[in-house]
Amino acid sequence: MTDPGVERELEAMLARSEQTRARLDRLHDVLTSGGHYGTGATPAAVVHQENKLRLLRLLDESGQPRTGPPVLFVPAPVSRYFIVDLLPDRSFAGHVARAGFDVFIIDFGTPGGEDRFADLEYYVDGLLRRSVRKVSAITGQTSINIVGYCLGGTLSLLYAAMYPSTVSRLVLLTTMIDGDTRGGIAWVAHQMGLAGESYENPRLVPAAEIKSWFEMLAPGSNSLIGRVNDLWERLDEPVDRLRDVRTMATWVDDVVAAPGRLLAELYQQFGPGRNRLMAGTATVGSRSIDCAEVTMPVLSVSAAKDLIAPADGVDAIRSLVPHAEVMRLPGGHVGIVAGRTALALWQRTVEFLMRNVK
Amino acid sequence: MSESDASKAEPTLVERWLQDQQQWQRTLFTYLDSMMKNDEFLMHMGNAMRGSLLAGKPYPTTPPPAAASADDAATADRLEKVLYALHQLQGQMQDVLMTLDEIRAGAKATRLKPDSTKKPARRARAAAGARKTGNRRPRS
Repeated sequence: MTDPGVERELEAMLARSEQTRARLDRLHDVLTSGGHYGTGATPAAVVHQENKLRLLRLLDESGQPRTGPPVLFVPAPVSRYFIVDLLPDRSFAGHVARAGFDVFIIDFGTPGGEDRFADLEYYVDGLLRRSVRKVSAITGQTSINIVGYCLGGTLSLLYAAMYPSTVSRLVLLTTMIDGDTRGGIAWVAHQMGLAGESYENPRLVPAAEIKSWFEMLAPGSNSLIGRVNDLWERLDEPVDRLRDVRTMATWVDDVVAAPGRLLAELYQQFGPGRNRLMAGTATVGSRSIDCAEVTMPVLSVSAAKDLIAPADGVDAIRSLVPHAEVMRLPGGHVGIVAGRTALALWQRTVEFLMRNVK
Repeated sequence: MSESDASKAEPTLVERWLQDQQQWQRTLFTYLDSMMKNDEFLMHMGNAMRGSLLAGKPYPTTPPPAAASADDAATADRLEKVLYALHQLQGQMQDVLMTLDEIRAGAKATRLKPDSTKKPARRARAAAGARKTGNRRPRS
């Protein structure tokens, strides 16, 4: 007869072995099943192209463009556009389209070496302005709704201040206004040397470097061991849940390189200690930005657990655009837009866009 | 249920160990099979070994510093400046084209609009002419 102590130990070893194998089996299942390969979930047509930018127009089930008031989604240029159109059952843009809007999404694409010279003016008064113009031309509307996410929100706000008559409603999602708020991506980038980025002689900031700033924000993800441990623990979850994790990882980890001149300018204007948006001294090219020009209805949404754009820095829009509706939702930077609880944001956005629509 | 039936239903610890070893072999062969058959599997495994489930492309890593000569770097720099200037020109061209489209659409709209107002205008001119000459068109 076996010693009970030895038997217990053997049982425990066997349980560990079974758990490890089960995790590896689940990992294999996830890695060999279709993942999210960087495209939006809703069928769309490319209606405008410029440099790497593509302007997408969502199509309905029969492959036809929708009618209804136009809404332009402006994601951040340093990440992939499909966060607003992640999965068929988890698509912010798809939800807005089904609510009766003609939805357009900007895909800024992946910058090439020459795009390191692209500055704020090129993005706001070039790419974004022409995209709005195209949407207006297609839909016949002189003013359109704009939904900007993260840095895309910053670009949208600057644009709305420059061309207010072309924007009927503005939604800003997790868009940092007060650059002096501690924490967040601007602070981390500041700590990691963004101040040294040259405007005159810019480089294409590699995706891995931008990724490292984001990793600094998420505890456990800033080291290889931490990330591997985190994934290993998660492999106890069901395969369906892991597929969701993979979809999100495909967005979170698929950071794109960024134009050094744009980052240098963003830092010099809006970074910690500069804060020119709050001071009212921001510029785009040679034009001064006056947020008093932002007279259209504005909705600003912050996420209570946002590590990238801290909620206090986002809600500071109250002092810049006093008539803005300010809303704080539970969740994180990505979760409120594409997580399991994102429906709350989508519905509030649709309500806001539908108000006073004739 | 007799004691012998119960012992048949529940495998001993040794039997479970053996089963586990067989399962491990199966897991190992599944991985080997995927490595051989699925081109992307190794890349996805590489991502997983970096703690990421990123699909379709390798996890971003810093590229090794390029060993280009100073001349090559200067040429590449000039080329990229030219290329960026071309992108800016492309944008300006698009503005021009959009403006032309707007003018064309505006012209079309004005061409279409007067159709409904043409008759009254002609009538008004004719009436004015008639007033001048004293010739009045008979009313139908």
